[in-house]
Amino acid sequence: MLEFVNFYFIPGLVLGCIYALGAIGVTLTFGILRFANFAHGEVMMVGAFLTWTFMDFMTGAGLALHPLVAAIPAVVIAIGVSVFVDRYFYRPFRKSSPIIVVIASFGMMLVLRSLVQVIWGPNQITFVKGIAKPNGAIREATSDMGMMILVPDKHLLIMVGTIVIMLAFNYILTSTRMGKAMRAVSDNPDLARTSGINVESVIRNIWVIGGFCAVAAGVFLAMDTQFIESTMGFRILLPIFAAAILGGIGRPFGAVAGGLIIGLAEELVAYPWIGDAPLISPGYKSGIAFMIMVVMLIVRPSGLFRGKVF
Amino acid sequence: MRVMKRILFGSLAAAMLVAGSAQAQVKVGNAMAVTGPIPDLVAPMVAAVDLAAKHINEQGGVLGESYEVVRADSACDPSAAVDAVTKLINVDQVLGILGPVCSGATIAQAESVSIPAGVVTLSVSASSPAITSMESGTDLVFRAAASDAYQGVALADLTLASGIKEIAVSYANDDYNAAIAQVFAKVYEEKGGKVVAMEAHEPNKASYRSEVQTLSKGTNALALFAYYGSSGITIMRNALETGAFDTFIGADGMLAQEVIDQIGAENLGNATFTTSASDDTTDAYKAWQALAEAAGVPAADPFVPNSYDATFMMAMAIEKAGSADRSKIAAALREVANAPGEVILPGEWAKAKKLIGEGKDVNYVGGAGPQDFDANGDVQGSFSKNTVVGGKWSATLIK
Repeated sequence: MLEFVNFYFIPGLVLGCIYALGAIGVTLTFGILRFANFAHGEVMMVGAFLTWTFMDFMTGAGLALHPLVAAIPAVVIAIGVSVFVDRYFYRPFRKSSPIIVVIASFGMMLVLRSLVQVIWGPNQITFVKGIAKPNGAIREATSDMGMMILVPDKHLLIMVGTIVIMLAFNYILTSTRMGKAMRAVSDNPDLARTSGINVESVIRNIWVIGGFCAVAAGVFLAMDTQFIESTMGFRILLPIFAAAILGGIGRPFGAVAGGLIIGLAEELVAYPWIGDAPLISPGYKSGIAFMIMVVMLIVRPSGLFRGKVF
Repeated sequence: MRVMKRILFGSLAAAMLVAGSAQAQVKVGNAMAVTGPIPDLVAPMVAAVDLAAKHINEQGGVLGESYEVVRADSACDPSAAVDAVTKLINVDQVLGILGPVCSGATIAQAESVSIPAGVVTLSVSASSPAITSMESGTDLVFRAAASDAYQGVALADLTLASGIKEIAVSYANDDYNAAIAQVFAKVYEEKGGKVVAMEAHEPNKASYRSEVQTLSKGTNALALFAYYGSSGITIMRNALETGAFDTFIGADGMLAQEVIDQIGAENLGNATFTTSASDDTTDAYKAWQALAEAAGVPAADPFVPNSYDATFMMAMAIEKAGSADRSKIAAALREVANAPGEVILPGEWAKAKKLIGEGKDVNYVGGAGPQDFDANGDVQGSFSKNTVVGGKWSATLIK
């Protein structure tokens, strides 16, 4: 049981948090702009690289910054990049068929990745050195209760950080004018425009929120793996798409649920549910995300949740 | 004599016409894994390829033309390698392919591009045993690095000799890592060791905690066959973090400074990785070492001498073939690399060119080893054992 919690459930939850944050951005762009943004993974990656750069710079100045602090300026720049890309590369195609914007985002993905490779090189960069030991206080406290929970600080931060971002996101979407405007545009852009909503400003806000969540996901991923490299975003883009589809594409809260489910599913299938051997060889665990996605698309293309988008 | 010259000239011109492109340069394609999971390993290999081309051009070039290496990125990935080599062969019209670094990439590009096009592939580092037997009826795939059929045995011997009797095996699901893992596990068990668990893992995942836990069955030793950048470092970190394993053995794909930089030397006291290495007592190695050091290329890094040797042998083969004709290169490659013949050491391009011009037999002996191709286009090699000493990998040759 302990083994299950420590080595399968908690890692699954951490991975799920990262997928969930990434899936929010993908699903928001789909909900409002109606296209699958392939460049989303690269925004995550750019965010992680910028964060590292600030950390490295401050270390040079004799100040060891925590990644979450260094992420603040990185978020600002990455959002700027997102808005810039939208203004000059997606907006000209606003009235074209969605497939053209999808291809534009695919091109943008390659451009951003190549830029990062030009600036920072293709090598792996150490994000945080060394190995992360489990949090001592939690281990002591839980072992007194007879179950020793092993969870490193970085995982606690990722899980708590994700919860905070989700709560803030929920507040914005349900209780602010901007959130209401977003929901209106998602329902019917033309009607929203005629009723006086500034659709372009809503779209800008989408990129701000999506960019914020993407950088958070990228930095959390880098905190977990402790290194960054230029394909890190692309590597997890496909499970993120799977999460967005599972939750019903266009539904932010569905995406969160989808992310958690995909993350947990990937880790839990390797648990020896029957006998001693893993249920499915861990070598195939990324196949699980796609299996769920394919089955979902066939059986229930609208996703897990019924009802209105948003 | 005059008639001879005329015939020679005529046939040369004809050959050039047949080749269809009277180019100012002799071009070879060089698909290297510049990006992907092992860029740190590949950077010095790329430098060695360029160094060989530089030496050749300084000493007269190939067929009287400059020897141009056209680089492409194979990214250690089968589909990227196919794209890169297709471009090299069809667009750049190269005479041969030096490169694809990784075994999976090499096999994929050979099967779908270079073999159908009749172009020789001379890999600088692909070491999967699967490459030995991949061709049927053609003789187009060569490599300047030894097969892991040998390295797996060396590693199994080393593991048993260091007193590890039980081990868990984790390997990345690709041609190179799966093949060496299989050789290792088979030999290890034959020689009295016990493999307690053996699982493939999927590269490029953010976490391998469940994999590590699944493998952890009563031993603290893990045989890890992976590329450091796509899964190796993460697995080692997860294993150390969860306390599942503290002793690691493995092969080439893990041997990078990056591993020490990320995990920390203090955590790697029990990590031993093998790689193909050179016997540094030979004349050929000393010649190579002097050239490499003069140019600031790390002479002893994995596959760096092999990269130089491959580039050099490809040039010799083109010179030997006497024309820019793709179909003659395979046979010529065997002739220049294998005994008998006057020994050519790294850097001795002017001598090689002169002897080939006189029609004499030559035998290239490189920094990485004798570089004699067997019937399958494989070479023999020796291996080194690498451990962390003072924050760096330190190699000792396995005799």
